[in-house]
Amino acid sequence: MNDHEQFEGKTPIGGAANPRAGDTYTSGKYAALARWLQQALGEAPSTTATPLASEGEAQLELLLGSDYHLHFYQQLPDFVMALLSNDSRATLHYAPLLYHLASCRECHQGYLELYDAMGAAVHLQKVRPVLGQGTRTLAATPQRMLGHLCQVLISQAEAVLRQARHDHTHDDDTARSLLQLAIHIGAHIGQSMIRHQALHSLVRVATLFDGPIPPREPDPAVRTYIPALAGSGGARGHKKIVRRAETGAHPANQEPAVILLQSRTLEGSIYQVGQTLELHLHDLDEQLRGHYVTISVPLGSLLEPVRWLGGNPRAIRSSVPVDSSGQLVTPLGQTELQLTNPEDHNLLEVIFMLLEVRPA
Amino acid sequence: MPFTAHDLRYQPEQSYPLLYAYLHRNAQRYLGSFKYDAFEVDTVIGHVIEQLVRLGLFAGGDHTPPTALDRLTDAQFYTFLSRCIRNKAIDRLRKRRLQVSTVAELEAFEGDEQENDPLDAASESLWGSSPFSTPEDITIHLASQQALRNILKHCIMLLKAAPQQLQAVIQEMQEMGADELLSTMLEELRIQYPPSQNPHISQHKDHAHKKLRLCLQQQSSNLTVMVALRLTLYTNQHATDTRQYTVDIQTLAQDDLSEHDVRAGLHELVTEGLLDWHGEEVVSITAPQMKHLVRFYKEE
Repeated sequence: MNDHEQFEGKTPIGGAANPRAGDTYTSGKYAALARWLQQALGEAPSTTATPLASEGEAQLELLLGSDYHLHFYQQLPDFVMALLSNDSRATLHYAPLLYHLASCRECHQGYLELYDAMGAAVHLQKVRPVLGQGTRTLAATPQRMLGHLCQVLISQAEAVLRQARHDHTHDDDTARSLLQLAIHIGAHIGQSMIRHQALHSLVRVATLFDGPIPPREPDPAVRTYIPALAGSGGARGHKKIVRRAETGAHPANQEPAVILLQSRTLEGSIYQVGQTLELHLHDLDEQLRGHYVTISVPLGSLLEPVRWLGGNPRAIRSSVPVDSSGQLVTPLGQTELQLTNPEDHNLLEVIFMLLEVRPA
Repeated sequence: MPFTAHDLRYQPEQSYPLLYAYLHRNAQRYLGSFKYDAFEVDTVIGHVIEQLVRLGLFAGGDHTPPTALDRLTDAQFYTFLSRCIRNKAIDRLRKRRLQVSTVAELEAFEGDEQENDPLDAASESLWGSSPFSTPEDITIHLASQQALRNILKHCIMLLKAAPQQLQAVIQEMQEMGADELLSTMLEELRIQYPPSQNPHISQHKDHAHKKLRLCLQQQSSNLTVMVALRLTLYTNQHATDTRQYTVDIQTLAQDDLSEHDVRAGLHELVTEGLLDWHGEEVVSITAPQMKHLVRFYKEE
C-alpha cells in the first residue's frame, strides 16, 4: 500500500473505512497518542446540559442551548450518510467535524442518535408508517407543545445570529424567519401565561439584530410597558380590570378589543378604532406633561401587519403632547388585523410585548 | 402521506400539527406503561422536534442547505422519525425505571408485543454498534489515520509562534508516551530531544489545548494539509531543471476539491512559509520545499 492509497482512504489504516467500537485500534502504536489527544481535546463539561425535568412539570426543557455548535451539528446528517454509505473518504472529508466530535459531548450525542435513526431508515425493510390519528390543526395541538416549539425557534434564531457574528457573516434573514414563525405559532396559544413563557426571550433575541450592545444603566426617563397577564389585572380609575377571556374557553366574538399594558404601577392600553391602533396611557410623569413623547415598539419591525405612524416602530412620535393630567391618547399605526379576532389579538399582543415611552 | 420532509422545511406552520400527530402516535407506542403520561409523551416528542429545528430541517426553508435527511424517501423519513422517537422513549423509560423499586411495579410494565416493550429489545447500549460510539473510538481513529494525524501535526507546528505553548505540548506528549509523532516533529523543529523541562509549563498547557482545538476544527487546516500532501503526490520534476517541481491547480483539485479550495490551501501554505506561489495556474516547488513537505506529510 502506498502513501497515496493511504491518504485517499482506499484502504484505510487498520483495514476499516468505517471503524466499529472495540476494533483493533484500541491497542497498538497509536494508543498513547490517542490518549494524549483525548486529554488535549477534552473540554470542561458543558453547563448547558439539560437536567431531567420532573414529572408533571409544565414546561419542556430544551435539549441544547443557543450556544450549541450549529456549524458542526448541521453537518451531522451528511457525515452519517457518508459513513452509512461506506464512503472511504468520509472521515477525511469531515476531519474538522470528527475532531470536534471528540471534544463535544452534545454534538457526539447528536451524532449517535442520528446514526442509529438514519441507519434504520436507510436499511428499511418494509414500509409501515404509523400515521397519527390525532390533531390536524394548530388550535387543537397541545398548548405546551406550541410553547415548546416557540422556544426552540427563538433559541435557534439566537444560535444562528451568534454563529453569523462568530463567522463575520450576515444571516439575519434566517433568524428573522424563525422569529416570525415563533410569533405566528405563539399567536395560536390561547393561554396568555403559556404564550408569555414561550415568547419571553423574543425581545432579547430580536435586539441581537442590532449587533452587540454594551450593557447600559436603565434610563429613568424611559417608561417600559409590557402586556398585563391573566390574573394580574389592577385598578384603573376605580374599576377593577377584568382580564380578557382566554381564547380556548370563550367564543371569539367576546374578545375585548383591547390590549392591556402595565409598567410597574402605571397602566395603559391599546384600542382599535377602525384600522387604527391607538395607545392610551395614564398618570404619566410630571416631567412629560405638556411634552411630546417618542414611543418604541422593538418587535414592530419583525412582522409587517402594522403600518407604523412615521414608518419606524422604534421611533413613533406622539401626535399630541401628554396632557396636564398625565394622559396621552395617540395613534400608533394602522392594520387590517382585528383585535376582536383571537388570533389577531394574540399576534398584536406579541408585537407589543415591549413598548417604551421616552421624552421626544 | 400526510407530510414530507419538504413540507416541514417549507410549510412548517401547516405541517407541524401533522408532525406532532405522527410523533405522538409513535411516542405512545414506545412508551409502554407511560403512554398515557402526557409529560413523558411530550418530552419525547419535544426532543425530536428540537432536533429537526437544530438540524435546519424544520422551518429551514432555503436558508439552510438541504442535507441527507432531505434526500430520504418518504418511507425512509418516516422510519427515521419513528426511530428517533423510539430511542428517546427508551432513554426516558430507562430513567423512569431507575425510580421503580418493586418487582410488582416492574411486572406492571405493559408489553403485549416486543415493539411495545422496547427495553427488552434494546441492547445494553443504544449506540454500541455505531462507529465512533465513544470519544475514545474517535481519538484512536484520529491518531491512527495518517491523513488525520497530519492535521494534528500541522496544528501542533503552528504553535511555533508561541514557544512556551509548543513546549508544553511536547512535554505533555513525552509524558504520555506519544513518541512516534513527537520524534517526527522534533526533527522538523530541530529541537533537542528531550527538550528542557519547564516547571511552569502547566499555565501554557490550557492555552495550547485551546489553540489546538480551534485549529483542528477549522476546515482551512484540513484543506491546507490535503493540498500539502497532494503537492507531494502529484508534482512532476521540471523537464529542464531537476531541482524544480511543478503541478497545475486542476490536478491538485482532483474530483473532490474545488479550485477555490485548492487556492485557499495554497495560500495557507504560503503564509506558513512552505511555498512560494503568487496565484499562478501552475505551482512551482523547489527541491528543498518538496523535501520539507515530503518529510512532514508523506511519512510511512
